[in-house]
Amino acid sequence: MTRQLTRGGLPWLAPGIAFLALIDLFPLAYAGGLSLYSWWIVRPASWRFVGLGNYVSLLADPAVWRATAVSTVFMGSAVLLEFVAGLGLAVFFASRSRVLDLLRPVILLPLFVTPVVSATMWRLMFHPDLGIVNYYLQRIGLGSPSWLGDTRLAMTALVLLDAWRTIPFMFLVLHAGIVSIPHELFESATVDGASPWQTLRYVTLPMLQYIMLVAILIRAMDAFREFDIIYVVTGGGPGTSTETLQLLNYRIFGFGHMGLASALAVLTFAIVAVMSLVLLRLLARRAF
Amino acid sequence: MMRWGRVFSWALLVVLVAVLGIAPLLAAPEETLSLAFLAGFKEDVLRANIGAFVQKTGIRVDIDTAPYNDLYKKELLSLSTGARRYDVLFMDEPWVPALASFLLPLGDVVKEVGASDFVPTTLAAGQYDGTQYTLPVDPNVLFFIYRKDLFQERGLRPPDTWADVLRDAQILNDPGKGIAGFDVTAGSDIQTFAYLTTFLWSWGVEILDQNGRAAVDTPAAREAAEYYVNILKYCPPAVRSYTFADVTKTMQLGKAAMAVQWASGARPLEDKANSLVAGKLGYIVLPKGVRRTPMRGVWTIGIAKTTSKRDAARKFVEWITSRDFGMAAALYPATSSAIHSPRVSVLSDPRVQQALPYAPALLQSLRIAKSRPRVPQWPDIQEQIRLAGSRITTGEVSVAAGLRELAASINRIMSK
Repeated sequence: MTRQLTRGGLPWLAPGIAFLALIDLFPLAYAGGLSLYSWWIVRPASWRFVGLGNYVSLLADPAVWRATAVSTVFMGSAVLLEFVAGLGLAVFFASRSRVLDLLRPVILLPLFVTPVVSATMWRLMFHPDLGIVNYYLQRIGLGSPSWLGDTRLAMTALVLLDAWRTIPFMFLVLHAGIVSIPHELFESATVDGASPWQTLRYVTLPMLQYIMLVAILIRAMDAFREFDIIYVVTGGGPGTSTETLQLLNYRIFGFGHMGLASALAVLTFAIVAVMSLVLLRLLARRAF
Repeated sequence: MMRWGRVFSWALLVVLVAVLGIAPLLAAPEETLSLAFLAGFKEDVLRANIGAFVQKTGIRVDIDTAPYNDLYKKELLSLSTGARRYDVLFMDEPWVPALASFLLPLGDVVKEVGASDFVPTTLAAGQYDGTQYTLPVDPNVLFFIYRKDLFQERGLRPPDTWADVLRDAQILNDPGKGIAGFDVTAGSDIQTFAYLTTFLWSWGVEILDQNGRAAVDTPAAREAAEYYVNILKYCPPAVRSYTFADVTKTMQLGKAAMAVQWASGARPLEDKANSLVAGKLGYIVLPKGVRRTPMRGVWTIGIAKTTSKRDAARKFVEWITSRDFGMAAALYPATSSAIHSPRVSVLSDPRVQQALPYAPALLQSLRIAKSRPRVPQWPDIQEQIRLAGSRITTGEVSVAAGLRELAASINRIMSK
């Protein structure tokens, strides 16, 4: 029966598979192939096969390890902050109130702003002389930190910006998860005399596990591959303190080193794939 | 009823196809050039004046802009892949050696536009391997800017050496009043490369030796980079996040006593509507270490070899390098970054000299300006200098380690 269905369904699936191959698999395979060549487009004739040479160069380059560490720190901090804040908001907004119903769409507003626009706006807000952040910090006597000129503060600024932009996403997903939990469970908890904290700890969170992992998986993949806001706000600096793998790759690609850039793209792909596989395994355990 | 509906639908389709097909043929035969240009900076000057070209030639210009960091990447990809995206391209001079093989030689255009009127160093900016590939449009050069009023108050003379600059920066730095002694960039901005290179050159260091090997890991280079790190103590606190625009803005707001800036950034400083220091600034050739080395950074225009609109592109090149455009651009009150003219007749014109108090310093600097090494690998090397400068000034690495890393990167790039 299954085989029959597969045979019968194959022609219908073929366009989709062909489309997927064209859009996803072909560029990936092309990048994989290109990563085995040395090709600097300023000298088109310089194209030559180097095997795994590009990978060896990258793994020996401290800039790659530095960028991997920066990407990981950014991903870890941003996703953690977004998850905690998103969960808090989702729990808070789960209670029934007319005011909260009105406020709910407002929380989602940052989702509708284009990343480059929000990054430009935040860059201005963090500006040492003209920015609103330092204006208020100065007014309450906290001085005028150089947000984008200090190697530690620059990363903090980026995490805050990313959190502002994507907490609404976390909120949306987790809120949808909470409202789909059967209400009887909360009623039983109340009847059994559970405190709000106990209800959260023993009812809400266990029931949300699957959704939470999905949200974290999506955000972790996105954050690891983040490019636009970092490019606009810090450009990878000061120094190389916020230069992620994506920025490094853009730099190499932009100067026409196609083979090397493709190798770095493949490495990044491998890192994200492994990370996703681990999280998907966790998801599978929770699901079955 | 159904039949009539079908006939009507078919008729509508035929009319639509006919209209869409014929409309382009009926429209006036207008030629449109695609121009790659710098976004934000200088763009206002070009857009304000492009009408004159359209009116004169009937050729439209589609201006596609990109920020500095992206413009080279876009031009390189467009030219090297044969994408034919651009007919004419606005290029910073260090890009010329890398892009030369994709450009039309313009030696005959030089003869037509009159080479004798150009400052010689600006014409050299468009040459590679003895061939003229691009023509100069905006003759940029780094020069020194200082507050005449503050210098007078303290009885100081304009600095002649970098040692004078450091001493004056210490004297004039007054965080209490919100005035920094000196103003540059020191972070990840592309200008950081220009400042580090300027100090290296001034201390007698060349980036490449005669064999094309890195020459930046020397005691003199370390001394120059140490100077850069030291003088940052007298710069605005947020200097490590500064960009070209921030250097200009800080001066405009009267928050710095001295700066090293590209000549194109000086125009907004003299804009009385937006600058608190208009008329209070002095402009001189860069101070010296062991030598005086104002960096040349001429913006040039070139034609893609693959363009099918060579005549139109030539007309555009002739127009944008002409005395007429030069005069209009030099007198235009640019808000972010000016376009000056590479023509001596424009820079020494009394109207221009009156509008641009820095014109004499610009002309003087241009005449002795130092060019960056003319090798195709230069954009890559420049990026490595920016990175090294940024890592050194933020303290990520020591001066010695930063320069050692830089030398290794340059040698790796040059070996390709």
